[in-house]
Amino acid sequence: MLLEVSGITAAYGSVQVIENVSLSVGEGAAVGILGANGAGKTTTLRAISGTVRVPSGTITFKGQDIRGKRPEEVAALGISHVPEGRGTLPNLTVEENLRVGAYLRKDRSGIETDIAFILELFPNLKRRFTSNGSALSGGEQQMMAIGRAFLAKPTLLVLDEPSLGLAPSTAKDVYAAISRLRLETGIAMLVVEQNANLAFSVVDTAVVLETGRSVLSGSTAELRGNDEIRRAYLGG
Amino acid sequence: MNSFGTFVQLVVDGLAQGSIYAALALAIVLVHQATGLINFAQGGMAVLGSYIGMTVGNLVVPVNLILGVLVGVIVAVAASFAIGAFIERFVMRRFQGGEEDTKVVATIGLLTLITGAIGMIWGFNFIPYPFFFNTSTSFTVAGIAISLWSLTTFLTIVALMAVLQLLFTKTKMGLGLRAVADNPGSSALSGIRVGRMLMVGWGLAAALGTIAGILLAAKAQLNPGNFDAILVYALAAVIIGGLSSPIGAVVAALGIAVLENLAGTFLPWIGHDLKIAVPFVLLFVILLLRPQGLFGRKSVVRV
Amino acid sequence: MNGLRNLVDRPWARWALGAVIAIILLVLPLSATEFTNQTITRIAVFAVAVLGLNIVMGYTGQVSLGHIFFVGVGAYCAIIPIRALWGGSIAEGAIVIGFALAIIIPGIVGLIVALAAVRLRGLALAMITIALPIIGVPIAKRFSDITGGNEGVSVRRLDYVASDGQTYKGNPFSAPAWSGLADDQWQYYLVMIIAAALFGLAFFLVRGKYGRAFAIVKANESVAASMGISPYRYKVLAFTIASMYGGAAGFLYIVALQYTSSETLSFGHSIELVIATIVGGAGSIVGSILGGAVYVLVPQITNAISPESTTVVQGIVILLVLFLLPGGLASLPRVLARRFRRARGGHNVDSSNSTEPAIENTENTKH
Repeated sequence: MLLEVSGITAAYGSVQVIENVSLSVGEGAAVGILGANGAGKTTTLRAISGTVRVPSGTITFKGQDIRGKRPEEVAALGISHVPEGRGTLPNLTVEENLRVGAYLRKDRSGIETDIAFILELFPNLKRRFTSNGSALSGGEQQMMAIGRAFLAKPTLLVLDEPSLGLAPSTAKDVYAAISRLRLETGIAMLVVEQNANLAFSVVDTAVVLETGRSVLSGSTAELRGNDEIRRAYLGG
Repeated sequence: MNSFGTFVQLVVDGLAQGSIYAALALAIVLVHQATGLINFAQGGMAVLGSYIGMTVGNLVVPVNLILGVLVGVIVAVAASFAIGAFIERFVMRRFQGGEEDTKVVATIGLLTLITGAIGMIWGFNFIPYPFFFNTSTSFTVAGIAISLWSLTTFLTIVALMAVLQLLFTKTKMGLGLRAVADNPGSSALSGIRVGRMLMVGWGLAAALGTIAGILLAAKAQLNPGNFDAILVYALAAVIIGGLSSPIGAVVAALGIAVLENLAGTFLPWIGHDLKIAVPFVLLFVILLLRPQGLFGRKSVVRV
Repeated sequence: MNGLRNLVDRPWARWALGAVIAIILLVLPLSATEFTNQTITRIAVFAVAVLGLNIVMGYTGQVSLGHIFFVGVGAYCAIIPIRALWGGSIAEGAIVIGFALAIIIPGIVGLIVALAAVRLRGLALAMITIALPIIGVPIAKRFSDITGGNEGVSVRRLDYVASDGQTYKGNPFSAPAWSGLADDQWQYYLVMIIAAALFGLAFFLVRGKYGRAFAIVKANESVAASMGISPYRYKVLAFTIASMYGGAAGFLYIVALQYTSSETLSFGHSIELVIATIVGGAGSIVGSILGGAVYVLVPQITNAISPESTTVVQGIVILLVLFLLPGGLASLPRVLARRFRRARGGHNVDSSNSTEPAIENTENTKH
C-alpha cells in the first residue's frame, strides 16, 4: 500500500473531530472519501498532510511513519494536498503560483515540461498566466491549485472537494481534467467530495465517514449497489 | 549662497536622511508582510548591529582604515541577520497566532532589552563610528555644495533596494519568501519551510536596518537611542505609504525627510527641533480628511 | 491549598482583603518614614496612569504606546496655572483650576489624536501614539518660557502674595497647619483620596454599559458593529477617557513632586509605562495598582543594585511575563491555584501542552 491510515483520531482544541478513521490507497489507485458535512473528511486529509495534530493511530506512506510530521516534510515525501479553499497565493501571479508548487524540485527542464502540461490541461490558466491569483475566478483558482499540487511531482495527490463553490458545468470540467491527469500520469489520488457522482467519475474505491468514523468502504460498484449510500450520497 | 542652492542642498540632504528612514520603513514592511506584525524593535536591532560593526571594525582599523570599516560592516550585517533570525525563531514565534497587542508588547520588550543591553555593554555616551571618509566632506557642483555622506547614503540605500527587488522577484528564495508572506499554510503544503522563511525575512530586515544604522552612525555617532526618533519617522512613512506597499513606504519616507528639512529651514518657527512634528501634523490632517486611509491598501507593487 | 483558592474566589473575602489593605494604607503614613510615604504616593500616582492606559489597552484592546505624553501634559497643565495663580486673589482655587485643566486639556488632545488615529484599523494607533512622547519633548523644550524646558518648572518655593499684601515663599502642597500632618503625609493623603476616587469611577465604568461595549469591541469589532456598537466611537471614547486619566495622574504627579520637566514625558518612560501595565496585568483594576508599583519600584530596586541594568531588567521582566504569565502579576493567584489543583489531581495534568506552536495549524480551524 502507498498510504495506510489506521485508527487515527484528531481534534481542534478540545473538540474531537475524527475518532476512528482507517483507509488505504494503493500505488496508482484513486480513493474517494464520502460523508456528510462535519463527518471529518477534510480533517482526515489534514491529518495526512500534517496540518492537524493526530494524537493516536498510525499513518504510513511508502512504508514510512508520517504521523506527526510537519506539512513541509510530508510534502517533501511526495504527498501534494490541494486544500479546501484552494490555497491560492493571491498576490503571486499564476506562473508564480505554479512555480511555488515546484519549489522542492531541481529538474528545471522537467518543471517547464510540467508547466506546459498544466497549461495545456487548463487552457484558462494559459490565458491568465501573468494575472495575480486573486484576480482568478473560483474555477480558475481550483485549476491553479491542482496545477500547483501537480507541479510538486507527487506520488499521491490529495484533493479536498475540488467542486466546492463551482458552477455544475465548471465542476464537471475540473473533474474531466482530474480524470485526464490520472490517466496520463498514473498519480495516486485521494479525493474528498460531497458530490459522490462527481467523485465516482475518478475514483475506483471509496470510504464513507460518519461522525468522525470510517464506517464502510468498497469499490464504486459495490457502493452504488448499497441502498443507503445511494440515498445519502448519490441522489436516489 | 543663493536660496536655490540652499534648496538643492536641503533636498539632497533630505533624500539622504530620508533613505535612512526608508531603509527602516522597508525593514518594517518586510517583517509585516512575512509575519503580520509591526516590529517596534527594528530600530533597536539596527543600532545593536551598528555597535557590533563599530566594535569589530575598530579592531582592524589600526591596520587599515578601509579594510577595518569594511570588515566591520560585513560582520555587522552577518550578525544582524543571525540576530534577526534568532529573535524570530526563539522569541516572536511563541506569539505567532496570538493577540496583536501581545506581539506589540513583545517587540517593545525586545526594544527595551536591546537598548538596555547596548547601554550596559557600550554605555550611553556618543561613540564615533569609523568610516571610509570624513562625513563632513562635501564637493561643489555648479556652485552648490553637496555632502559626500548624503550622496553615499542615498546611493547605497537605492542600490540595496534594487538588490532586494532582484532577490524577491528573480530568485527561488525570493519566491519562497513572498509565498510564505502571501499564504503560509498553502506554502507549507508545497513543501516550503515556513519557519525558515520567516527567519530569513527577519534576518534580511535586521541586516537592512543595520546598514542604515551604520550610515547614520558614521555621521551622527553611535548612541543607544539613535533610532528612537527614526523609528517614528519610519512608522509615519509606513502609515502614509501603506503597510502592504514597500514602494509606497520608501516614497513616503523620502518625501517626509525632504519636507521636514525644507520646513525646518524655511519656516523659522519650526526650526531644527520641531521638524519631527511635521510628518505627524501632516499625517493627522490627512487622517482627519481622508478616513479611508491614504494610498491603496491593495498595492501589487512589491520589493 | 484548596482553602486558599476558595478564599480567593469568594467575593466577601476579596472585599475583606480590600478593607484590610485600605485600613493599612490609612494608618501606615502616620508611622512610616518619609521615603516610604513618598514611594507609596508615587505608586498611587502611576497606578492612576496605568489605570488610564488599561482602559484603552487592557479593556478595549487598543495599543497605545504614548500614554506618558498625557501624564506629562497633565503635569504641565496643573503646575503652570498653580504657579501663576496660587496664593493670589484666588488662593487655593488655583489648585482646583490646575486639577480641572489637567483633566480637560489632555482629554481634548486625546480626543483629537484618537479621532485621527483610530480611523486606521489594526496597529495604526500604536504606530501613531509612539510618536507622542518623541514629539512632545521637543515641543516642551520649545516653549521653555512656560515649561522650563530641561530644567522644568517647580512650585516647591513659590513666591506668593498673602492676604496681608506681603510676598512670601511657600509650597502649595505643604501640609496646612490645621491638619497637624507632615508634608509627605499630607501629600500622601491628598493623592490617595483622589486616586481612590478615580479607581472607584473606573471600577464602575468598566463594569457598566461602557465597559461591556469596550469588551465587545476588544473581542470582535465586526460583532460589535453588528450589535449597533460603533467600534470607532467606543475606541475614541476609551482613548479620550484614558487621556483624562493620564492627565489626572499628571496632576497627582505635581501634588507628589511639585515639579515637572520634559523628562516626565520622555520616550523611555512611555515604554516603561506600557511594560508596567502588562506586567501588572492588562484589563485588571488590581493589575493597575500592581502596575503602578512595578513602574516605581523596579527602577528603584535596579538603581540601588546597578543603575546601568535598569533597562535590561525591564526588558527581561516583560518578556518573561509574556512567556510565562500573560495575565500579569494580577493573574498570579489564579494561576498558582490552578497549578496546585492540577498537582493534587495528578492524572488531570494536561498532556497536550505543546510549546511548539504550529504556524501552519493556525491558518484555519474549520473542519
